[in-house]
This record gives sequence, structure tokens and C-alpha cells, in this order.
Amino acid sequence: MATLSELKTNPTSFAPKRSKGQIIVDWLTTTDHKKIGYLYLITSFIYFLIGGVMALVIRAQLALPGLEIVASKEQYNQLFTMHGTIMLLMFATPLFAGFANVLMPVQIGAPDVAFPRLNAIAYWLFSFGSLIAVSGFFTPQGAASFGWFAYAPLSNTTFSPGIGGDLWVFGLAMSGFGTILGGVNFITTIITMRAPGMTMWRMPIFTWNTLVTSILIIMCFPPLAAALFALGADRRLGAHIFDPENGGAMLWQHLFWFFGHPEVYIIALPFFGIVSEIFPVFSRKPIFGYKTLVYATIAIAALSMTVWAHHMYVTGQVLLPFFAFTTMLIAVPTGVKIFNWIGTMWKGSVTFETPMLWSLGFLVSFVFGGLTGVILASPALDFHLSDSYFVVAHFHYVVFGTVVFAMFAGFYFWWPKFTGKMLNERLGKIHFWLLFIGFHVTFLIQHWLGVIGMPRRYATYLPEDGFTEMNLLSTAGAAILALSMIPFLFNVWITQRNGVKTELKDPWGYGRSLEWATESPFPRHNFHSIPRIRSESPAFDLNHPEYASPEAKASYAKEGRV
Amino acid sequence: MSNNRRRFSALAVLSASALLLTGCSPELERGFLPDAAGVTNHTDRIIGLWTTSWIVLLGVGMVAWGLLAWALIVYRRRNGNTDMPQQLRYNMPIETLFTVIPLILVLGFFAFTARDMTAIEAKVENPDVYIEVIGKQWSWDFNYVDENVFESGIQAQFTGKEENIMETLPTLYLPVGKSVKIDLTSRDVIHSFWVIEFLYKKDMFPGSTNTMYFTPLKEGTYVGKCAELCGEYHSMMLFNVKVVSQAEYDRQMSLLAAKGNVGLLSTEYDRNQNLPGGDPSIRG
Repeated sequence: MATLSELKTNPTSFAPKRSKGQIIVDWLTTTDHKKIGYLYLITSFIYFLIGGVMALVIRAQLALPGLEIVASKEQYNQLFTMHGTIMLLMFATPLFAGFANVLMPVQIGAPDVAFPRLNAIAYWLFSFGSLIAVSGFFTPQGAASFGWFAYAPLSNTTFSPGIGGDLWVFGLAMSGFGTILGGVNFITTIITMRAPGMTMWRMPIFTWNTLVTSILIIMCFPPLAAALFALGADRRLGAHIFDPENGGAMLWQHLFWFFGHPEVYIIALPFFGIVSEIFPVFSRKPIFGYKTLVYATIAIAALSMTVWAHHMYVTGQVLLPFFAFTTMLIAVPTGVKIFNWIGTMWKGSVTFETPMLWSLGFLVSFVFGGLTGVILASPALDFHLSDSYFVVAHFHYVVFGTVVFAMFAGFYFWWPKFTGKMLNERLGKIHFWLLFIGFHVTFLIQHWLGVIGMPRRYATYLPEDGFTEMNLLSTAGAAILALSMIPFLFNVWITQRNGVKTELKDPWGYGRSLEWATESPFPRHNFHSIPRIRSESPAFDLNHPEYASPEAKASYAKEGRV
Repeated sequence: MSNNRRRFSALAVLSASALLLTGCSPELERGFLPDAAGVTNHTDRIIGLWTTSWIVLLGVGMVAWGLLAWALIVYRRRNGNTDMPQQLRYNMPIETLFTVIPLILVLGFFAFTARDMTAIEAKVENPDVYIEVIGKQWSWDFNYVDENVFESGIQAQFTGKEENIMETLPTLYLPVGKSVKIDLTSRDVIHSFWVIEFLYKKDMFPGSTNTMYFTPLKEGTYVGKCAELCGEYHSMMLFNVKVVSQAEYDRQMSLLAAKGNVGLLSTEYDRNQNLPGGDPSIRG
């Protein structure tokens, strides 16, 4: 301890002292990829909390049949519409942009992204677009209430005349441009700004997944933007693009899900990347089957563009065998990933620090979400399950199970790189177990609810339906889930206040990618010096040369350092 | 190690006995689906596919969870342990294995799915009964085309405290054992026609018609719900299906005729004509 406090330095001591106003202006005008990344992370986490509160109101309303927790069913519809919109497009998607912004340039040894100012513009487009979309709550008729997939003709002005619908359409279009520009930026950065020695096959899995995700973004967000502008034209200019009599209802569904399904992978792949960084560190082994994992990611991305109509089996107007087959095929590369992760731990030396715990929580939950996904891929079974709580349960297992668990894994893992301080482990474990239990109590039972016939998006149900006990249990789980945020927020606060600076470049001891070879927190331009990149684990090669990959050992031998 | 093994065998015995104890329940046998066996000519097929799929999938899941648990327990870092494990990077035979085996499982699953969905979606050329259902915010119109009578439903009225609310819902009558064709359409937004114990639903689109074919095989009252978000009172868009004997069916038809519900309802009140730009028939 004495040596630690002797080492303690104040990193800001050489910088001129700045007023609060200067700090605010600095954050508002920053083009630093890390600061923009933190802005994304903070903004998306705030939206996570807002969307979470909405979910609690939804669960309260459904606790018992015939409740009137919300003033009207219209308000209930607004709540689940905005819950979905916020969680998908204002939480999960920008959370990817946040992690990718902070970490990807460091992982490839770059000082910033390729287009720093475009990066800032992308953030502000997202930020203002999202504010516009949620501002519907402050209009007299309230926010959009046609569900987050806004099926025509329910989403036109005949059936949803409120201004909240217009704000939703144009806000999302604006925010979508931010996402597209972010994707362009990430691709360019990865292609052009890798440090010498950082070949494509030496990129960390998280960077690979950022690249693949960004390619998905530039393929599927433009169709969404086009569809939203067309819907906006229908609503404001009296265009007739999505009129039912010229097939507009189906046209919207095709356009929406052509975006909507890849979107699911846009918010999954980066988080697969996060856990792929964490498993090796706490198993003290390299990732098992690096190349297979990359090819699996590419295969998932490619297949994800061919499966959109599995959301539309019950429309009776899609080619069932094709979409059933491609959907089922996705299970193969996904299974490969799962076995690669288990293979990473196999014969390893596994410890259970908080990042590992969260990654394992992800893996356990995600496997079940994958199984129900295979069930839903079968039209013969989906005819019964479609639009029921089984689907709600399924996508919370895959999306919550992936995004939220991996987000917290990433927070605990990289917090020392973000702030220079480690989050408290004990609070982190309380946080994990509360959330893990709350999550499974809330969502596992919803599979049964759906199977016995509870449709999604119902504001209430009959006592005769026999849904009451299961709904009550689910609501109780949601309360536990909500409670789990308290230890986390307390942890962040207490760490900021009393946490000890780590001073270590790699506080976990077995970090592999480049971010563990630079100071904590990151210096202004990421590196004071970059170690030679000899394999996909440059920091590990540096700190544990005796266990380095054959590739790195050969490189050491060439330098005569064996 | 032997300690570990004892713990594992205890766990195995425990889970096996739990399975045996619950194995007797009919709910588990049909995979917790509603009691739909023999309700239509398709339900047994769906229940069969459902339970078989789950057995295989849970098997796959058990392998994944089991391997994970094994790795975490057996390969945990012991106290005081400071050495490093072997730095294994890949193993092509194993990786090939866990690519090919899932692929084979998927192909099998697709084959069974293809067989069953073809049967479920098969067209019936000369159905005994021809019904049209029109969805509307937030209820259902039933046209009995052969008998030229109709029933126009209103949305469920409830606060959660009423007795016998199911009796007040609009009811579709079907004769038992007769093949049925139902045309589904809508006169405003998209709805979805879901009869829970039929284990089947299909969307109702304004401007186009969907069709479903089946034969109800078991008399009884079945719960129906709208399954596609259709506006504020989506959760009030409920109905019943009563599968009855031919004599009772005929009686219900004559009751409808006696009430004056003669003729067929159409989509002439389609509210999409209110779109900016006016009546689509005028627009051409």
C-alpha cells in the first residue's frame, strides 16, 4: 500500500486548471474518440434507465387482470412502443457506438478514428434525433403508440393522428443517419488506421465484430431511413406509399424487417465481441479457434441479411421454406461461437472476477434464447407462438441476455481503462446476482405465458385466461431486476469518490489486446509508446513472453530475445 | 476428484428423480401447450413437432450448459495456483465436429418442419363450410357464406370484475368434423386471427385476403384473441369459437337468420378511404 501511495500522481497536475464552463464546452465540442465514446455510453445508459422505468410501469399494469395503473390503454401502448424504441435504438445501438468508439481505435493502435469531426456529428445526430423521438411524451396526444415496428396502416394519420408519431418517424430518421455515419467511420478507421504489425488476422475479436457490425449498419440502416421518410411523406404530405390497397402494408413490413432483423445482430455482435475479450483473460488462455470465431461472425452477418421474413410467417404472404431454412442455419455459426467460448475456458485456469461473472451470465442466458430461437424458426410452431409472450421472452433472452449482461461485463472490465479506478468487486457481485435472478424470474415464466395464449402488447387480460399467477411472478422478478441497479449506481459513485487509482496498465494481469499496454486511464492520444505487435495478443506477449503464441515467439527469436 | 464425482452423481440422481416425478403430468407431456390434442386435424401434428423439437433442443442445451459447468468447476483456478494452463489455440477436428453436428441437426429439423407446415397450409379444394372473417377495430365480423347469414361483433367490455364475460364475446360457430375454409381480411389496420387451442393464427390485412383450412374434430368452446397490435383496445378484441354438432350449427344459423342477420358483410366501410387524398375507388 505504501508503494502504491508513493506512486500516486495527479495526472491533471501539469494541465492548467479549468473552470466548470470550460469543461462543459470541452465535452460539447470534443472530437476525441474516447470522449465521444463516453458521451455515447452515458447517454445510452440514461436511456436504459428511462426504458427500464417504462418496463416497470408495464409490468405493474400487467401484475393483475383489469388493473388501471396507466390512465388509458393508449398510454400503455405508448409505453411499450417507446420502451422498445428506446431499448433498441437509443440504448443498445448507441451503446455499441460507445464501446466501439472508446476501445476500437486503442485496440488497433490508432490515435483516433479516421473522421473525428464526423464522429462528433454522428453523436449529435443520434442525440438530437433521440430527443425528438421521445419528446412525443410532451405533446398533448402523447408519444407514438403504434409499436416499435410501426406497421402500416396503423402508423398512418388515419389511425395514429398524434404529433408524437411524426416526432417518432423523423427523430428516428435523424438518429439513423448518426448510426450510418458512425458505421462508415468505424469501417474506415479499421481499414486504414491499424498500427504497423496489426494485420487483419491480428485484430482483437471485438474489433473484428465492430467491423462486421458496421458493415451490417451501412447495409440495413439506409433502407430504414428510406422507409421512415416514406412513412413521413405519407403522414405529412399525403403520399400514398404504404396504402393497403397497393400492398403498402406488406411493403412496410418487408422494409422494416429488412432493417429490423440485421439490427438484432447489430446489437448482438459487438457484445459477443466484448465477452470474447473477457473469457480469455480470466481463463488465462487465448481465445479458442480465433479464425473460426471470425468466420462464424461473418457467416452470422451474411445470413442475418437473408432471414427478415421470419418475423412475417403469419402474414401468409412470404416464402416459408426459404426463410425457415436460412433462419435455422444461423444456429450453426451461433453454436460455433458458443462452443468456442466454452473451448476457451476448457482446461484453462478460470477465475470469477465480475467481468467474467457477467460474461458467464450472458452465456447461460443466451444459450436458452438460442434454443427458443430455433423453435420460432419453424413456421409450423411459429403459427401458434408468433406475437405471443413466448416471443417476448425469447427476444429478451437474446437481447437483454446479450446486451445488458455484456454491457456490465464491459463496464467492470474496462472501468480501470476509462477512469483509472477499479469498480468494487463485492458490490459488483451483489449487482450481478440480483440482476441475474431478477432477469430469469421476469422472463423465463413468459415462455409459458405465451404458450398458453397470452398475446404480446395486451394492456390487460381476463381473470378467466389463467394468466394471473405467471404475470404476478414476472412482475416480482422485474422488481428484483430494478433493485439490482442500486448496487451498481452506488458502486460507480463510491468508486469515483473513494476508489484507489490502479496505476497498472493491466490491472487484471492477463489482458491480451493493445488497450492493456497503455496507461490507465487512457492518455490523450492513447499511447505514449506502442509495443511491437507480434500476434493477436500484443499486451499478453509483452507481459508473459514465455506463454506467447508461436507467432510471437518466432518474432522474439528473430530479435534474439529467447 | 472423487469428491467431485460424488457431487455430480448426487446432482444427476436428483435431476432424474425430478424428471420422473413431473413426468407423469399431462402438461409436461404436451410441452405445456394448451389442451389441444385432437382439437383440429392439425393440432396433434403440431404438438408432436413441438415436443420432439424440445427434447432434442434441451439435449443440445444440456450439452452446452453441462460442458460449461464442467469447465468452470474442474478448471477453476485453485487457491495458491500460479502456473499457466497450456495455451491451446485451436483444434480443427473438434471445431469441424461442432460445426457439422449442428448442421445435421438443423437439416433434420428443417425436414420435419417442411413436412408439417406443408400439411398445415395445404389448400382444401371443396370445403364443407366456408366462412369469412373481417377484422375491425376492435372486434370481428363473421360471414357464414353458405348460409348467407352474418354476425357482427362488438369489442369486449370488461373491468376485470364481471362474471361470465366469456359468454358476452362474439362467437364463431363451426360444425364438428367438417372441413372449414376461412377467408380473413380487415377493414382498417392489420389484425391477427388466433384461436389458441387450434395452435394457429393468421394475419388479416386490409386490401387483401388470407385463407386458412382445417377440420375441427372436438366439440367445445375455444378462446380466440387478436394477436397483432391494432390500436388502443387491442386487448379487448376477443372472441369465442364454438365447435358444435351439425344440428346445433344449423340451429344457430337459423337463429341468425331469424334475427334478421341475412346477407353478408363486406369491407365497404374500410377506413383506409379516409386517408389524405380521399376514396381510393375515386382515385382509380
